[in-house]
Amino acid sequence: MSAKTEQHHMRMSTKNRLSNTVIYIILILMSLIWLIPFICIVLQSFRVESTGQVGYVIPKQWGLDNYVTLFTQTSFPKWYLNTLFIAVVVAVIQTVIVLCMSYTLSRLRFKGRKLLMNFMLVLGMFPGFLTMIVLYTVLKDLNMIMENAVPGLILVYVASSGMGYYVSKGFFDTIPRSLDEAARIDGATRLQVFYKIILPLSKPIVIYTALTAFMAPWGDFVFARYISNNNSAGMNVAVGLWSWLQRDTISQRYTLFCAGGVIVAIPVTLLFIALQKYYVEGVTGGAVKG
Amino acid sequence: MTDLEYLKLTKTQKFVYGLKKFFVSIPRWFANLGKAIVNGIGGFFAFLGRDLKEIGTTFIQGDWKTKLSFLIMGFGSIARGQVLRGLLFLLFEVVFIFYMATSGVYWLGKLSTLGTVGPHEEYNETLDQYVMTYGDNSFKILLYGILTILFIIALIYTWRLNVKQNRIAEEILATGKKLKSGKDDLRSLVDDQFHKTLLALPLTGIIVFTALPILFMILVAFTNYDANHNGFSNALFTWVGMSNINQLVTWNNGSTNFSATFGEILTWTLIWAFFATFSNYFLGILVALMINKKGIRFKKLWRTILVMTIAIPQFISLLYVSKMFSNAGIVNGMLIDAGIIGFDGRIPFWDDPTLARVMVILINIWIGIPYLMLIATGILMNIPQDLYESAKIDGANTTQQFFKITMPYMLFVTGPYLLTSFIGNINNFNVIYLLTGGGPANQAFSTSGGSAGYTDLLITWLFKITTVDSNYKLAAVLGIAVFVVCAGISLIVYNVMPSMKNEEDFQ
Amino acid sequence: MKRLFTLLVVLLMAFSFSACSSPSSSAAPASSGEAPSGETKEYSFKVWCADNIVDLTTKQLNDFAAEHPEYKLTFAVEAVGEGDAASYMINDVEAGADVYCFAQDQLARLVQSNALAKPGVKASETIANENTTGSIANATFDQTLYAYPLTADNGYFMYYDKSVIPEEDLDDLSKLLEDCVAAGRTFAFEGTTSAWYEAGLFFGTGCVSEWVMNGTDIVSYNDTFNSDAGLKAAKALKEIVTSPAFVSSSAADEFQANPKAAVLVTGTWAYTDIENILGENLGATDLPNFTVDGETFHMGSFGGGKLIGVKPQTDAEKGAIASQIALYLTSEKCQLERFDAVAWGPTNKVAAASEAVQANPGLAAFALQDNYSVPQGQYPGAWWDLGKVIGSEIQAKGAGATDDDLKAILQSYADSLAGLLTMDPEVARAWTVIGSVLGDTWSTDIEMAEDPEGVWTTADLDLKAGEEFKVRQGLSWDNNLGSDGPGGSNFVVEADGTYQIRLTVGEDWTTGTVELIAK
Repeated sequence: MSAKTEQHHMRMSTKNRLSNTVIYIILILMSLIWLIPFICIVLQSFRVESTGQVGYVIPKQWGLDNYVTLFTQTSFPKWYLNTLFIAVVVAVIQTVIVLCMSYTLSRLRFKGRKLLMNFMLVLGMFPGFLTMIVLYTVLKDLNMIMENAVPGLILVYVASSGMGYYVSKGFFDTIPRSLDEAARIDGATRLQVFYKIILPLSKPIVIYTALTAFMAPWGDFVFARYISNNNSAGMNVAVGLWSWLQRDTISQRYTLFCAGGVIVAIPVTLLFIALQKYYVEGVTGGAVKG
Repeated sequence: MTDLEYLKLTKTQKFVYGLKKFFVSIPRWFANLGKAIVNGIGGFFAFLGRDLKEIGTTFIQGDWKTKLSFLIMGFGSIARGQVLRGLLFLLFEVVFIFYMATSGVYWLGKLSTLGTVGPHEEYNETLDQYVMTYGDNSFKILLYGILTILFIIALIYTWRLNVKQNRIAEEILATGKKLKSGKDDLRSLVDDQFHKTLLALPLTGIIVFTALPILFMILVAFTNYDANHNGFSNALFTWVGMSNINQLVTWNNGSTNFSATFGEILTWTLIWAFFATFSNYFLGILVALMINKKGIRFKKLWRTILVMTIAIPQFISLLYVSKMFSNAGIVNGMLIDAGIIGFDGRIPFWDDPTLARVMVILINIWIGIPYLMLIATGILMNIPQDLYESAKIDGANTTQQFFKITMPYMLFVTGPYLLTSFIGNINNFNVIYLLTGGGPANQAFSTSGGSAGYTDLLITWLFKITTVDSNYKLAAVLGIAVFVVCAGISLIVYNVMPSMKNEEDFQ
Repeated sequence: MKRLFTLLVVLLMAFSFSACSSPSSSAAPASSGEAPSGETKEYSFKVWCADNIVDLTTKQLNDFAAEHPEYKLTFAVEAVGEGDAASYMINDVEAGADVYCFAQDQLARLVQSNALAKPGVKASETIANENTTGSIANATFDQTLYAYPLTADNGYFMYYDKSVIPEEDLDDLSKLLEDCVAAGRTFAFEGTTSAWYEAGLFFGTGCVSEWVMNGTDIVSYNDTFNSDAGLKAAKALKEIVTSPAFVSSSAADEFQANPKAAVLVTGTWAYTDIENILGENLGATDLPNFTVDGETFHMGSFGGGKLIGVKPQTDAEKGAIASQIALYLTSEKCQLERFDAVAWGPTNKVAAASEAVQANPGLAAFALQDNYSVPQGQYPGAWWDLGKVIGSEIQAKGAGATDDDLKAILQSYADSLAGLLTMDPEVARAWTVIGSVLGDTWSTDIEMAEDPEGVWTTADLDLKAGEEFKVRQGLSWDNNLGSDGPGGSNFVVEADGTYQIRLTVGEDWTTGTVELIAK
């Protein structure tokens, strides 16, 4: 190696080191900004000296009282089980539905396909809140509101899940068509092509779909509130915790809210971090296609 | 302009050219639409005529089995041995008749008035009680009326299929071939007709739980369904024609300047969507580049910290952040304790209109960067490395590489994502509702209903009009307006950006 | 199979829920809970009350059931804030609670949605005899009693931290603000986020805002916020909202926020929470005086209460029991129990006069302030928004806001109020002449045609001297024009002749000039 290039390399690496340092500083700052709210919530949940909102972050007296109260004296366990049940069922069914939908629209060609896609595109541009009052009435006639809100919510989440096929379709679009054609020539039916050839290749998108479907019900505080219509037995965690932040409850329930938030966030966060890799593969395979 | 000239243009020029072409083409587009509608109507009647003729022919030329099938659906199929098909037709007819007899006729009959008998109250002296008697329910009449009409259309369609089936069966038998058995039918459902099997369930859900409610709400825009006419417990609602739509487009209606409020909220919605989309987009890519830069360690750690905002439900994180920035919140408190601001210098994060608007955009970055970071990470890995290699050989530095290779590639691949994300931000309910609830209040909006404030988007305003004012008719009008806005933007983008058009391009 | 499967599934599904809602079940009255004779009748009731009295209410309901062995009663008690109850009821009256607590300002909405069963004649008498006059007024709408008075303490007064605020400053707003700033503590008053609180200053200077409502329709109103007195109130509001100490909040937690509050304006409901935070330093008293341009006023407030409502029932007997439950829950015994548990102020005359109630510091402060309070009538929903923004607009102008700025804000408020009266565009454009003209006696409207825009004219009319008429809008007397403006006296024809009556409408579409043009 000549002296000149060596010098060049050294300059590059000094420059590199400098820019890396800047990047580290930025990343550390960002991490702080990203983490502070969550750390605050966790700290608040361990505060026992008062139950309302306070102007300091670090508790003066630490304890697990809020968590104990949460599980022994409130409806939180019921809400938690409701939500967990909804999330699991929705994750399973929604994955199946989205896969059916996106596979069909991506791989199969049939009359009315374009029309169907345009139809759903148009439907998707109407704001979803509008239909809330209609769905309420439909569910009421099916006796799926208030204390029976759980099956009602599952039904609605699942029924509209076909609309969210875009990411998944984008993923399937990237799998070469020649694979199917070869199998078809070998005499496989379309069903066989689906589960023998395409599905094994689709692990990231299956996990991505299931993960997003699993996460959504934990945060639904609008529709679920409308459907449960203030019946504690039919609430999910979001609605339940939301009801603790009202004017007349917040002073007594604020730290409980934080504790509840932590309990909700833990499994979802862990699951998400564990499956992050698939999420990235799924979303990049699919989302960019729109 | 020739193809060659077009290729010589820079990106910006191409974009301007596309935009110009789009607007120039609008009149032609409308002319074409008009033509298409005329053609469509003409075509429909021609089709109807042909179809009626064919039905007639089928009846006249058909045997007795076919003729009886006109009345008893599926009879022909059953008689010719296609029992499964026939039974399904028959079952459908039976269900239809049962439905119409038990309730369909009732709903249909009331649809034109949406009910005539309101609730009334009587005093019962022995029990010292006012006793309530409820009458019709306008809401259900409208809902199930629509459903009944859909049901009738479906019956007509199925009946037509049933007639056609007879014709086809007769033709096949006439050539001496055998008809498909039920087993063949079932087999085709996993093969030639596999798409029907796969779509049956998802489409059912979409039609019943998405399309039908949207159709309902569109129709509500033409009724007087509001707090004074809730359709059941106080007064029925009924059809009122275009008067709600007029309210949106009439500019001067005393000082209840509804359309002016609409205009201002729409403007802010678009500004918000623009900043929310592009700030996230570019910063997200930047963060992804930083994390993925060679020589940066703990990549997984950085990524994991950032994605916390995705994993934790927004109603927890955003509500907390909202309280952090309140007038006597932790942020102001810490700034005072640190001596950065005095007690009298507390920052009115949510009280000042401009500051509140900036804050929601900034906090939205906090929420949005992680998504973009993940997406960009994936795409960056997919960029062919030889592009960079050859660029290096040409002497391009990192910045040049970024602008010449990374950005164009990203933009090309994520074009459609940008559009969906823009539309998504127009309808970004959570960030606004949880952070500011639409506030601070705006005096100019206050007579338009829904307590609209400076940071309200159309979607949050719509939500408040529904839940606070129970003014459903107006909410329906706003919903249609949101649709028009979203559809308009999509239409422009699809026409200006050529890469959006062809879905096969990406494969 | 030609999509048959798809269709079939769609329709079977559609059918399945259509069938569940066959017309008979929704059009006919719900089946009454009649049981075979000889058995005790079973009824279940859904009851909504505030989170902190759920346990107490459950106990009281069980007491009620024990007193009525002739029925088998079951109760489901759910926690709902008094502010939210009305929204849930209005969303779906059918599925709402049979008996529920709500805040008085929700009365109009509930009446409008028909979510309240009027107490029967005898029940009304009982209520009227047992409760304080003010609380009965709270439960009355349009001269009719609609609900059962539950508390009489839904108003606000001042809590303060004794360690910061010296007693001699309690009566002076400016000194209170100075003390807060000096101590680095906040002055919490919902001065930019709630018309309920802001209106107190205006009432203090003698302004009024009175509304006559028919459901949500405004019949007429009298609002004097946009006046000299109003300007004084606006100046005081400016002093508060532009003070460095100001925080717009009414939450008890302000006393432990950072920076902490030294003064908080809120109501009795926060008493227990504040007591927990401040302990011995808790002080409660009436609102302070404020001085504007050398004149001193006492801050006014809204006074109101909480109520219990009963949902209209299709089954008379169930309705009768629900009514008895509401009466029981608002009886002397239950109100005292509630006072002991959560210190809610009773409406029952006997309970309110009891020693314990009289001695409660929160209620005592409320009683002090009550001398300056305005009974909370009914207001249109938009009024709350319009009132709220007076404060936020003043805050936006900042401490440098001039009198003209404040006047402009009040003018804009008044204009918006006038706008509330505006009807549908179609009604707004329907101007007519009515009077003792053409042999008519104020019964038939004479059409006016719009030409050119903004000008309405009648056909040529033969009028006689002494005949009187007015011009009105939308075929109603809500807005009518007389010789001296809206609602003024009649126009009088001075001499016989053929005339055309011409109206030029003002920019607000509610006022205009009327001319009598001889032909």
